[in-house]
Amino acid sequence: MDGFIAAGIIGIGLGAQYALLALGFTLIFGILGVVNFAHGGFYLVGGYIAYAMVGMAGWPYPAAVLVAILTTGALGYVVELLLVERLVNDELATMMLTLGLYLMMSTTVLVIFGPESPEFIFPVSGTLRGKGFYIPLANLVVLSVCVLAIGAVYLLMYRTGFGRALRALADDRTVAMAQGIRPRLLFPVAFALATALAALTGALVTPILTLSPHAGDAVLATSFMVVILGGLGSIVGATVAAFIVGLVEAYSSVYLGGSKGALALFVLVLFILVVRPSGLFGREVRGA
Amino acid sequence: MAGPVAVRKVGTADVAAVLLCAIGFFVPWLTQNLFAYSIVNQILIAVVAASSVFVMLRMNLLTIAVPAFMAIGGYAAAVVALTGVTNLLALVLVSFLVPALVALPLGALVLRLRGVYFVLVTYVFGEILQLMLFETPSITGGSNGLAGIPAASLFGVALTSSRDGLLIAAAVAVLAVLITAVVCQHFWQEFAAIDENEVLAQSLGLVVWRYKALGFVVAGGLAGLAGFSLVTMLLTAHPSSFASLSSVNYIAYAIVGGRTSILGPVLGSTFLVTASNFFGSKGEYSQGLFGLLIVLVITAARGGIVGTAASVLRRGGSPAPAAARSESEQHGPA
Amino acid sequence: MRKILRRSSALMVAVVAAGVWTSWLAMPAGADCEVKLGVMGPLSGAAAAWGSAMRIGAEFAVAEANKAGGVQVGAEKCRVSVTPYDSKYTADGAAAGANFLASQGVKFIIGPVGSPEATGIKPVAERNGQITFNSGYAKNAIEPRFPLAFHQLSGPSTWARPVAKAAKEKFGFKSIVVVAPNDQGGTDIASVDAEAYRAVGVKASEEYYQRGTSNFAPIVARILSSNPDAVDTASSPPADGATIAKQLREAGFDGPIGRLGGPGTPEIIRAVGGIDKLKNFYWLEIVPTDDPGVKSLWEDYKSLMGAPAPDNTLMATSVVASRMILKAITKAGTAADVKKVAEALRSLSVEDRNLGKGEWTGQTFYGINQEISLPVGMGMIVDGKHLGVRRIDTSGQ
Repeated sequence: MDGFIAAGIIGIGLGAQYALLALGFTLIFGILGVVNFAHGGFYLVGGYIAYAMVGMAGWPYPAAVLVAILTTGALGYVVELLLVERLVNDELATMMLTLGLYLMMSTTVLVIFGPESPEFIFPVSGTLRGKGFYIPLANLVVLSVCVLAIGAVYLLMYRTGFGRALRALADDRTVAMAQGIRPRLLFPVAFALATALAALTGALVTPILTLSPHAGDAVLATSFMVVILGGLGSIVGATVAAFIVGLVEAYSSVYLGGSKGALALFVLVLFILVVRPSGLFGREVRGA
Repeated sequence: MAGPVAVRKVGTADVAAVLLCAIGFFVPWLTQNLFAYSIVNQILIAVVAASSVFVMLRMNLLTIAVPAFMAIGGYAAAVVALTGVTNLLALVLVSFLVPALVALPLGALVLRLRGVYFVLVTYVFGEILQLMLFETPSITGGSNGLAGIPAASLFGVALTSSRDGLLIAAAVAVLAVLITAVVCQHFWQEFAAIDENEVLAQSLGLVVWRYKALGFVVAGGLAGLAGFSLVTMLLTAHPSSFASLSSVNYIAYAIVGGRTSILGPVLGSTFLVTASNFFGSKGEYSQGLFGLLIVLVITAARGGIVGTAASVLRRGGSPAPAAARSESEQHGPA
Repeated sequence: MRKILRRSSALMVAVVAAGVWTSWLAMPAGADCEVKLGVMGPLSGAAAAWGSAMRIGAEFAVAEANKAGGVQVGAEKCRVSVTPYDSKYTADGAAAGANFLASQGVKFIIGPVGSPEATGIKPVAERNGQITFNSGYAKNAIEPRFPLAFHQLSGPSTWARPVAKAAKEKFGFKSIVVVAPNDQGGTDIASVDAEAYRAVGVKASEEYYQRGTSNFAPIVARILSSNPDAVDTASSPPADGATIAKQLREAGFDGPIGRLGGPGTPEIIRAVGGIDKLKNFYWLEIVPTDDPGVKSLWEDYKSLMGAPAPDNTLMATSVVASRMILKAITKAGTAADVKKVAEALRSLSVEDRNLGKGEWTGQTFYGINQEISLPVGMGMIVDGKHLGVRRIDTSGQ
């Protein structure tokens, strides 16, 4: 029974991580219709900027995280304005564009910081221990940030005019434009918001795990899976899917092992998609 | 928004594509340069894989399962060759049919999905397949793969040299391009209808799933041929050759080349594979340079290499009509 | 504005394309008497640290040779140069690399680094007539079928048992879980390690994780559910090893963590946050890094190249392999007849200015005696204190 609870706690920790990751991805995907292959790149850049501030400039960690968020958000804004904007209607082209950007970003990090992992440790250490289970305090911090971030984004999307405009653009762009909403102003901001979220996740999670130039590789696959599983355009869906994926991954890895566990997870995802072709909470779908 | 409208008949583009692949037969007589053999061989493999992506793109469906079906085809051929059957024609047939047969029930299961949900399912399938390779070492050699595969033979002559490998790759590429051109031309209307508006097509009486399934099966078979070609080049069936994320390379070849005809994947493969081989010699910059190239081409060349070439030929370098229309729709009067 | 941007990007693309197309038609510039050493390994991606170290080692050996006027080939002294290639840790990447290097006139390749790369390159290099010196730990890293393939360092079949024995003596554990990624770079080593532990009387089981995992908490929970006395991270990449170690300690595991695998421990120590966090750790060093001879190699590098070399010890074995090839070229009197150079290489005694004396091994395990076996090292951290790296003599294994 202990193992069961312990696995569950691990699963929730994973879920919080995935939910934060998925948040940025689903914003861009839902609103702009862009599959941001560079999502992992912004995560990585966020982590490395935070490391550079802490490890090289000697700043305190929270300030470093803030710098990472702002810088990456600005980077995202510029990227959207100059590059993504030109291709925003062509989903495949934006996919390729962001893929190219990801390769450039991860190579830049590799060239600047070298291939080896630097020393970048989460400032809060220590573990809460209970009978047969443990919760690292760092995970609690991530969980709380995750809840706050999801709450903030939800409020932004559903309680502000800005959010309403973004949702309108996501629902039906032509009608929204006819109503006077200007995507050319709003898209870069939405993109910046999403990349800032990715950077926040990177700055938080990489010191808990290990920072390295290839830390962004697996991010895309996970975010993609979680967002689609949850249903396109649904923040609630993405969050729920994140925790489901986290829990399933935890339980299947603990009880079946890493390899068979991954197999079980993917088979389950396949099954869910066959049974619910629009994801758990999804609505109508665009073309490829 | 659907991509550019597909070419209607087997036209000059398709013929050009076949001819370009056929050049592969003449390369051994044009040069002795081993690197040239290597690049051309890789290009010919990439063309087949990109054609698999292309067939599905005709229906506005993006598949990330190409490496998975390549693995099925490649491993099937490897297993058969290791039992002693090395006839080239038999191996080609096996590498096409086995993945096509696997695609049939899988297709039935997943073709209800559209758009990004379909993409995700193909990705998941690819991952499942990689894991299955690992979990079944007795058939597939597990993480070590199957090494030392005997070379294919034709009329009793074993085709062992790198020159022979190149000829096999060229033959497979020509075959794949022909299959693609014929299938896409024959079912042009149906595929285009599904591409344009699936629901509308269905309501007008088109049995959509039949054509999707056909496309998926053909795409699976084509990918299997690519897998056979790859395994032949290395004489090894190794899991690292079929990594799920390598699918983005094949997608890039198809898109960068151009989506209007099979000539696109041929040109895209040629351009990007050559570049990638070069960038490999630039050390740690290799991936970044490749990314930069993709970014440049995607922003500069709407409609891919083929589309840009076509619009340049149409005088003035002005964007093709379809692209211009979508630009103004993008942001309206703002 | 947009038109200008598009035109200029199109122009850029055209220039790049033209460059790409014409450069491979150009013949490599024929220097009068130049010996080219190729270096192959992953220079990007998860294993980039290893590829980079391989390259740096070769560059040092080459700089050393050139400082002495070049390598003696017959009657003249020839300049030596290094041509690197990023094989991206895949079989087809290495195969493509071998062909690229062949077209550049490179007959001697230091590397490749990983097992999948070694698998891909061996048949192609044999066909091209290229000597390779790979560092992969695969069970078939070298084989009789490919007489031009050499092994740069000794594999787990040579050192796993002595290191396991020494670890067991120091830490006194009776059961261990060996954890590695689920591909050839993991399974070939973990299985040999586990066998070695069993041979010295430790109960061993293997756990494989999906390559690409970044959060190992579930794996750690699974490992600990069987209550082992120790955990070995085998050949998992340093970043993974660091996360596993961190999360094992977080989970309350205080026992010894081992690393019977490849280089990268200094990186792990750094990423975990220090020796005190690691507490109890033992690992294989492919060269005995506390030996004065080995230390002087890092000092020589710094003085010759002007900048410090990273810690990754793959640099050292790369230096040894490069030096041996150059010696073999001199002994054979030719850099063009690869078979002659290979013969000369086999006839050389394994001896290096910095790394000392060793031997050629491999007949029993691989069927061909082409593996360089020099003394290795074993590092230990006990109760948060670094006990240094002791030399482990593996001759006669």
